[in-house]
Amino acid sequence: MDIYLPIAQVAVNAPLIVLLGAAVGFISGMFGIGGGFLMTPMLVFLGIPAPVAVASMANHVAASSMSSVLAYGRRRAVDLRMGAVLAGGGVVGAVAGVELFRWLRLLGQADLVVSLSYLLFLGVIGGLMLMESLGAILRRRRNEPPPPRRDRRPVWLYGLPLKMRFPRSRLYISVIPPLVLGAFVGVLSAIMGVGGGFILVSAMVYILRMPAGMVVGTSLFQIIITTGLTGVLQAGRNQTVDIVLATLLLLGGTVGAQFGARASSRFRAEELRAILALIVLLVGLRMGLGLFLTPDEPFVLMPGMG
Amino acid sequence: MGPLFALAAAIVPTPPLPPAPAAQSAPVISAALTDTTVQVKSDFRGARIVLYGAVFDAAARPSDVVVLVRGPDQPVRLTRKQRVAGLWINSRPVVFRGAPGFYRAASNRPLDDIANFGTLRRLGAGVDHLPINAPAEQHIETRYGVRDVVVSSLGPDYYDWRRAIVRLKEKAGLYHEDGRGVRFVDRGLFRAEIALPTGAPTGVYRAEILLFQDGKPVSRRSRTLTVEKVGVERALYVWAHDRPWSYGLAAMAFALAAGWAASAAFRRD
Repeated sequence: MDIYLPIAQVAVNAPLIVLLGAAVGFISGMFGIGGGFLMTPMLVFLGIPAPVAVASMANHVAASSMSSVLAYGRRRAVDLRMGAVLAGGGVVGAVAGVELFRWLRLLGQADLVVSLSYLLFLGVIGGLMLMESLGAILRRRRNEPPPPRRDRRPVWLYGLPLKMRFPRSRLYISVIPPLVLGAFVGVLSAIMGVGGGFILVSAMVYILRMPAGMVVGTSLFQIIITTGLTGVLQAGRNQTVDIVLATLLLLGGTVGAQFGARASSRFRAEELRAILALIVLLVGLRMGLGLFLTPDEPFVLMPGMG
Repeated sequence: MGPLFALAAAIVPTPPLPPAPAAQSAPVISAALTDTTVQVKSDFRGARIVLYGAVFDAAARPSDVVVLVRGPDQPVRLTRKQRVAGLWINSRPVVFRGAPGFYRAASNRPLDDIANFGTLRRLGAGVDHLPINAPAEQHIETRYGVRDVVVSSLGPDYYDWRRAIVRLKEKAGLYHEDGRGVRFVDRGLFRAEIALPTGAPTGVYRAEILLFQDGKPVSRRSRTLTVEKVGVERALYVWAHDRPWSYGLAAMAFALAAGWAASAAFRRD
């Protein structure tokens, strides 16, 4: 059953898109991530123009994060104040990111920046996560005790001005690191069509040292605000949001996420992280591969921007 | 009775006569499309339109028929991947003008057999004769003492770029040249099929039907075809392009509401 997407101006197989939404939703529910980094490349692979895929993903990520954050909110696992500071940076980042993406498309370098961002961020984060989780798995196999958790926060976090109290997270730190982090993730959400959860979560754990229970809910809260704004800006500035595409993804995604969340309890945390790390690493390498292989067709049409 | 008969003849619509063939024995071509509008709906998977027509020639000279269908012009941005420090990187994009969004040339035998280069070039018949060029890359200078020479900054690669546009559009099913696309089904009666792909641009298409004799176009007809989005697709497209901000806000509100609804539906407590 094919359905014509009014903004992307291509016909897609509707059940296939719903299924893709469900599969990515399953992974996203399992690992507590948005899944944008998986979905956007797959949509492009299915023939949807990259700008439309990136922009429509913002709507999809906002919707799926909304469906998850409510559950975390009921458990009081969202630090609203930290989320608001992150989102403040995110707003600036999203506006800058949408303009940057527009400028890159005019220069014809959007593809390059998207591929490089995927290669760099997914490669580095996937690699680090893989090493860390494999280490944890090996230690458990050998019955070694886990290394003592270094609870000391980086010293520079305390040297910065503009300190603020975050009672939920039991933190008293400068607002500059979360603002910068939020802005950075906002830019990524506009350029890569991702929520940025995989970066936000790692940074909140390893840099800000937030309590583990607060991290995912707070990251989802920030992602809703950032992607919500990105989606509106992409529609307003670039006219690239396809609501039919976003709705199809949503149909599968919300259901898949619920099953993923249930399935996640069957695995150990470090095994989950190792699987996720492999997926992240593979997607990053696959996206970056195109930069090194000799293309079959050296010329590329850039539609939609006469 | 005579005047009354004349009056009746003036009022009663007479069926359209074939364009008077015998008068000066000038050959005439006539053609029509099975559909004059194509509607793009949610189940749109492209369309096939049949063009049929007839050649009226009392002298029955050997005739060739060429059908040229052009969609609305769309400027094309094209980039070429170049190897820079081991990476394949897009070059500066070049804007080409004069490229139709859809093009199909069909004829009863290959165009090169029907007419010479100059005639085909003048008519824009065939993908090699489309007036595609990159005006922003051109400037006029004096070379080797010759004035007003048009020079492209793309240099000798210019034809590679131009050929790439045709090749990429052909791959997308938007350009097609078919030397056997017009079939004579009976004496003087011919038909051709126009296949529109899913990605066919919306707008007014112009079909030119040309009759060639002795390598010269002796008669022509033109017909128009409208491709338009209808229904929900049209409403969404127009909304997204005319009021992008309200569309964006509504789309996001819808997405957030859907997320909230999904969470409420799956709530286990």
